[in-house]
Amino acid sequence: MTDQETPYRQAEANVVLRQVGKPLERTDAKGKATGRTRYAGDYTMPGMLHAKVLRSDIASGRLKHLDASKARALPGVVSVLTAQDLPDRLAATDMPGQTGQKRASTDRQILVREIIRHHGEPLALIAAETPALADQAFDLIEYEIEPLPGVYETDAALEPGAPIVTEPDNVVGEYKIRKGDTEKGFAGADHIIENTFHTQFIEHAFLEPEVGLAWVDENGVVNIRMSTQVIEHFRFIADALGVPHNKVRILGAMVGGGFGGKEDITVELYLALLAQTTRRPVRLAYTREDSFVGHGKRHPFSVTHKTGVTKDGKITALEVTISADSGAYVFLSPYVLLYCAVAAPGPYRVENLKIDAAAIATNNMYTSAFRGFGAAQACVAYEAQMDEIAKTLGIDRFEFRRRNFMRTGDKTATGQVVESAIWADECMTQALEALGEKAADKGPVKIGRGVATYQQSYGRITWFHDTSEAWVGIEVDGTVIVRSGVTDIGAGQASALGQIAAELLGVGLDDVVIYNSDSAVTPLAGTTTATRALYMTGRAVHTASTNLRERLVAFAAQELDAQFDEIDLANGQAFVIDDPSKSMTLKDLASRGASEGLERSELAMFRAPFTDPIDPETGQGPVFPDFTYGCHAVDVAVDTETGEVTVLKSVGAHDIGQAINPQAVEGQIEGGALMGQGYALSEELIYQEGKLVSPSFSEYLIPTSMDMPDIQCIILESRSGLGPFGAKGIGEPSLTPVAPAIANAIADAIGTRVFDLPITPEKIVRALREADSI
Amino acid sequence: MSLEKAVSVTINGVARQLSAPANETLLDCLRRHGHFEVKSGCEKGDCGACAVQIDGEPVDSCLTLTWMVEGRSVTTLEGLNDADSPHPLIAAFLEQGAVQCGYCTPGIMIAAEAMLRETPDPTDEDIAIALSGNLCRCTGYTKIFTAVKQAAEVLRAGDGND
Amino acid sequence: MLREFELDLPNDLQETLACLPGGTPLAGGTNLLVDLRARRESAERLVWLGNIDAFRKISIEDGRVNIGGGTTVGDILRHSDMPTAAPSLDACARVFGGQMVRNRATIAGNVCSGSPAADMVPPLLSLDAELCLASAAGMRSIPLDEFYSGFKKNKRNRDELITGLSWAAPGPNTANRFYKLARRKGDAITVVGVAVTVTRDGDKCSDARIALGAVGPTVFRAKEAEAMLNGETPTTELIDTAAQKAMDQSSPIDDLRASGDYRRQMVQVLTRRLLTEAWQALGEKESGR
Repeated sequence: MTDQETPYRQAEANVVLRQVGKPLERTDAKGKATGRTRYAGDYTMPGMLHAKVLRSDIASGRLKHLDASKARALPGVVSVLTAQDLPDRLAATDMPGQTGQKRASTDRQILVREIIRHHGEPLALIAAETPALADQAFDLIEYEIEPLPGVYETDAALEPGAPIVTEPDNVVGEYKIRKGDTEKGFAGADHIIENTFHTQFIEHAFLEPEVGLAWVDENGVVNIRMSTQVIEHFRFIADALGVPHNKVRILGAMVGGGFGGKEDITVELYLALLAQTTRRPVRLAYTREDSFVGHGKRHPFSVTHKTGVTKDGKITALEVTISADSGAYVFLSPYVLLYCAVAAPGPYRVENLKIDAAAIATNNMYTSAFRGFGAAQACVAYEAQMDEIAKTLGIDRFEFRRRNFMRTGDKTATGQVVESAIWADECMTQALEALGEKAADKGPVKIGRGVATYQQSYGRITWFHDTSEAWVGIEVDGTVIVRSGVTDIGAGQASALGQIAAELLGVGLDDVVIYNSDSAVTPLAGTTTATRALYMTGRAVHTASTNLRERLVAFAAQELDAQFDEIDLANGQAFVIDDPSKSMTLKDLASRGASEGLERSELAMFRAPFTDPIDPETGQGPVFPDFTYGCHAVDVAVDTETGEVTVLKSVGAHDIGQAINPQAVEGQIEGGALMGQGYALSEELIYQEGKLVSPSFSEYLIPTSMDMPDIQCIILESRSGLGPFGAKGIGEPSLTPVAPAIANAIADAIGTRVFDLPITPEKIVRALREADSI
Repeated sequence: MSLEKAVSVTINGVARQLSAPANETLLDCLRRHGHFEVKSGCEKGDCGACAVQIDGEPVDSCLTLTWMVEGRSVTTLEGLNDADSPHPLIAAFLEQGAVQCGYCTPGIMIAAEAMLRETPDPTDEDIAIALSGNLCRCTGYTKIFTAVKQAAEVLRAGDGND
Repeated sequence: MLREFELDLPNDLQETLACLPGGTPLAGGTNLLVDLRARRESAERLVWLGNIDAFRKISIEDGRVNIGGGTTVGDILRHSDMPTAAPSLDACARVFGGQMVRNRATIAGNVCSGSPAADMVPPLLSLDAELCLASAAGMRSIPLDEFYSGFKKNKRNRDELITGLSWAAPGPNTANRFYKLARRKGDAITVVGVAVTVTRDGDKCSDARIALGAVGPTVFRAKEAEAMLNGETPTTELIDTAAQKAMDQSSPIDDLRASGDYRRQMVQVLTRRLLTEAWQALGEKESGR
């Protein structure tokens, strides 16, 4: 497909759409808007115990001794578990694969045996009759920790003699990408521009802290009602408990926000262990403080770009060096690193490329999945570098991008041909247009404009051989059921499936009920991560619905004495397209069909492209199924005396292929706009000697309603994506370009750049002072 | 020794007797009595997820001791969802797609409802100030503002005919 | 979770004062309950002041504003006369916490919190507020300006309550302004808080007050800077100099929100801006613009 074949703005849909593409009220909305929806923390069971986690309050140490006897002796304390009580098992921290493929060993201790590697690492688990008793037991556990030298900077972690956090040398992952000949490329450059960019630790700050309720049922199955993005963790939990996989069941609840922070195991294993030990239901609800220290954070990255360009603004060579702080445990660091390396050049044509990336262990909090997953950090670097290069060359920043954009049909940094439309340019044009005319500077307040374009994958790494399953059925009364394991973390993951099924089966969304997120009962759909839910599970539902539809249409054709392709399904009817009076209700169709043994349901599996891992020396090969492209543009006002930044207008323009529910797409863009704003301006986890200084929302500042700018969404639909109806993903893409756009706008306003996030008022004042004194 | 007291309080229009010790927050007590629509987000007044109205005034229930509501009326989101006349905020949130994960929604509704009683024709600035104590991580607040303004319009239209 | 404590719920001032010895007064709870939960504070018995309606009265008589100590920030924000009776206090209320916290946080509680970042204190100082304290032994008055004796130390005796605050409402020749600098626009801990009052007497400034928050061990008035302005015409240069002096009088620390260096610079910028704004507002009034 080339740009000539798919005109900008909107490609024609090749089918009539009745449900898809409409801003329908989501299936989950009413329950939430009336307060009736139950989240994991809203479930109780008679006789349930209340759990609490005791944690290390220093980052690096040796647990010399721990005595829980007083706690255990307290009446009403039912169990206190320490590492001594646990079987000698480890917890896996890796991404659940679909096929149990071999993975790098990332196993870690469940509770501290001896060595403490990060602040907040769990020492003991308590289960008591009441929360107050759990609290008292917490205070009665006696322990002594001997501080050990720790390492808190990635540079220091690589020095000889540095404390080893991850054997053998603190290097947790490395990637190389080699393409063309950078030496030749640099030789042919008129300018070589080098800059280093830094990003910070940030927190997901989902409003619902981690929580779950576990019990062992009459069949010995460990059931866990859980707020999670991944019900497939049941396998890891079973392994850690030493029970067969079919004896752990995760019942996912509606999740009160995830963003990658509920992608790894959080409280599941603690719950399962306590439920197993006490033989009673156990509830564990993290406090906000637990949440701040209890789940992995976003990787801070240092990314150095060295770019060769001609004086006309063509990139001739690019060398990128990437270093990520993996923290105390591996978790998903190797993959986050890979995403960053693959995304490193951005959506631009670079023939000569050399990328070296490493993830380094320290005694900081472990880092793991967070919306954007390394590609967001890459964008912080490449979009800042693009502006810096344009500035050096004296070329318009937007024109410079146009001269280098990838175009439809191009290959990525790893040599993968992108199958779908690459509309970064068109998105940038529309986003800039939407900003309109820039306001005028006023006194010390300077206005700046910035854009960031991006490439963000959707769908998981293709050598994971990702699959997703869904079941779609029609009841004898014509109503529809969808069953799929997909977890709904707030973006309408479940409702979208209903919308797809409704479209294909000719019913309204109101006629569809979706049962999701039960690892024992709903077909497994895979993780709600990596912007894959709509793509993978949407395709599975599409296939299941289509296959079911065909059987229904064939039966209707018979009943209506017409040909197969003369029949359509819509508005709860099957009818002859050219003579709609010849029709039957879906209810009749389903009930008559049922009595004739018509199969009224279909289970379908969708498989993403399966590939082999990329070449370890060159990094060449396919990595992801596909990519979303887009642009975020902002205008900011910077008070150059105080450094305060006000975002005036924030526009996200994304080609999402086909909007299943455009209102939900807007919701993602708007939410991403504000989350990115926090990343750019005010969010920062501050660790001192690895200890989180303030685990609270009064110090960790996410944007409030008073910080909200005028946000505008522009949805472009190329219909070229691999998702259902040509959709692409938006979950992570909506966030990735935002902080870079704001950083660029600030640099535009003040004429100099702050190279590390967050760009605080103080950093702006300092940068201006330094620029003045040059 | 935790002395429990019977606290007489009207919750969503229904007279109740809650038994609670002095140190139990209204948040914990309400949830213990089945009011799961009152959410816990931070337990220190930073996030607004636990907001309820006491005599019509939004407060963080995590910073309210149960004994403080003796003789008063408490309203939760359930109280706004009257079967015969649900508050227009609910329909507006649904129509505008202002609910994503939904965890902040009850607290936001409580804060917005009170604001609309005081400011029937709110500007964006009024809404921003009224909701600045309710953190939302999913929506960017944009559709929440639209929904609040829509509800305001509906309420004004309803009153205008009296 | 809060540890166990006893809780008194007195209904009037007398009852309250009788409860106070050995008890810890609890007003809005937006600081104290947070500190108790975090184990930064402990209390065996709390005395809740929220049932005493008399503490929440606001009255303005003969140009003097009187508010009960239990007046909440929300009460200030909702009161239609506050924008003129206490412009800086009203401006502060708009950016104070969130709606729910405003509906509980009391003025007396904020004054007693002891934090140099207590938002309401610079405005109250700029209004030259007087505190009324009551105990079983009787009542006394103390200017807010004399209330703080050091970092988190004030002159309230343990068995005393701040029952009220009062100040002279700014007259037509007096301007009173406030600005809060923080790391986000809504519901944030102050990095630097500045409130100024200037009175215009012909073309001279009199009764200048510059109150600074979060830049010293207590909120304080930069009196040397004020002295520079009193009796003078505030030209641009004089305002600059006074702002510089205010900066010199500040001693902010480095913390996770900002460095002391930045805060000091901002004292200069914000003091200059607020003085300029206040003086210009009076000038416009004078010339009838």
